[in-house]
Amino acid sequence: MAKLFVTLILLLPLLCNCFSSENPTDRRILVLLDDLGIKSSHSIFFRSLQSRGFELDFKLADDKKITLQRYGQYLYDGLILFSPTVERFGGSLDLSAVMDFVDSGHDLIVAADVSASDLIRDIATECGVDFDEDPAAMVIDHTSYVVSETEGDHTLIASDDFIQSDVILGSKKIEAPVLFQGIGHSLNAANNLVLKVLSASSSAYSAKPGAKLSSPPSLTGSAISLVSVVQARNNARILISGSLALFSNRFYRSDVQKAGSSTRHEKSGNEQFVTELSKWVFHERGHLKAVNVRHHKVGETDEPAMYRINDDLEYSIEIYEWSGKSWQPYVADDVQVQFYMMSPYVLKTLSTDQKGRYFTSFKVPDVYGVFQFKVEYQKLGYTSLSLSKQIPVRPFRHNEYERFITTAFPYYGASFSTMAGFFVFSVVYLYNK
Amino acid sequence: MARSTSKDTQALFQSLRSAYAATPTNLKIIDLYVTFAIFTALIQIVYMAIVGSFPFNSFLSGVLSCVGTAVLAVCLRIQVNKENKEFKDLPPERAFADFVLCNLVLHLVIMNFIG
Repeated sequence: MAKLFVTLILLLPLLCNCFSSENPTDRRILVLLDDLGIKSSHSIFFRSLQSRGFELDFKLADDKKITLQRYGQYLYDGLILFSPTVERFGGSLDLSAVMDFVDSGHDLIVAADVSASDLIRDIATECGVDFDEDPAAMVIDHTSYVVSETEGDHTLIASDDFIQSDVILGSKKIEAPVLFQGIGHSLNAANNLVLKVLSASSSAYSAKPGAKLSSPPSLTGSAISLVSVVQARNNARILISGSLALFSNRFYRSDVQKAGSSTRHEKSGNEQFVTELSKWVFHERGHLKAVNVRHHKVGETDEPAMYRINDDLEYSIEIYEWSGKSWQPYVADDVQVQFYMMSPYVLKTLSTDQKGRYFTSFKVPDVYGVFQFKVEYQKLGYTSLSLSKQIPVRPFRHNEYERFITTAFPYYGASFSTMAGFFVFSVVYLYNK
Repeated sequence: MARSTSKDTQALFQSLRSAYAATPTNLKIIDLYVTFAIFTALIQIVYMAIVGSFPFNSFLSGVLSCVGTAVLAVCLRIQVNKENKEFKDLPPERAFADFVLCNLVLHLVIMNFIG
């Protein structure tokens, strides 16, 4: 009996399988819906998340009992907002609470749609994405719309203008275009953290369907982004989509024929697109960690506290990528290290042994001071690595110079000749008659 | 006008030379030693101007040995010169002994500083 009790107690730590730095994939996700019908109309998406190990907690967006954190600890690792028309969230959730959630490093998926509320628009603006101000506007494209029996108003469009990134969208090419019906947004050009994942074609524009346009629309062409992602500097990832129907079962199962092309795809690219993108957003792919920073003089193994100028040293670091289940070695040829004091004196690309270890060796520059080994790695779609290690560099000690300096030989000669001259002078002076 | 100035400088040099020929021999020997020391110092300065001052302590030490011994020789000349009323009572041997001791100290310092 006591043995059983002890075994049970020892197994308790295994129950805590929440988000930690050793397991960066999110575990518990709060899903806020406008109405519970979304749970069934988007069931394929939710089921694929659950089959990958996520625990989804469904709640209505105005449920009074919504709370993201309790006693200062966050209860969830990710948030999905499938509630485009909600004016105010229930419980303790509001715009600043959502922003704090993201600022603490957690991930977010926001889906807006036609008649999106101001709250959802504000959340998107805080993340760096501006939706069209007209609440009734949708993205219309008269050349990339989907061919269907009913004569639509060309708001259901098919787009295959994806971002070129294997990390974000997976290595397998998405063959079929992605169906989209909703509102478009634009990205601030000055913001370099936000990326357009799915853009509209150059003939698209954002306007109220069916209405006559009195002035040219403000959002046109491929400046319209249909789906964007943001990777914040604390490596939180945010997905913003202008269409809730993008995630729906109906779009997943539908066949696609783009206007103007004769190929008819049996299945749209929505399921593959959303699945791969959600893998990236929830840190199952493209999450790096750098460990084991080491440096030492060539020929030694322990790390000195100080280097001397013109020393030869070796620097090594290990970088791993999370594959969803385990840490795999990360292989790339563009990781660089800087030997930095106000400006980089040495900048070298690290060579790799393909097993995650990156190393290089170089000569300490002829300047003394306090330097830093800096690795700043920012690649599209990957978490940014920013490491620095401080190390002082001293000049030569007075007994580390050569014993007789060649350029000083004239001075040695002059002082000895002065001594000889003094001796000769004193002899001549004393014995002069 | 130019001819008269050149004749004046020539006359000046002649008078200087004849006055100098009248100085005693031991003073002339001291003067020769001083010019030798200053000349060596000048060579070192020209060398430093060409090559740069890398071992600055060696440069200082070399120049200072020449200049220092020149200064000490000038002091010896002042004390030994019979026309100097101030040092009438100072025996010239004492002056020379001072000169030798100071030069020894100077060269000890130079050897240390030259690096």
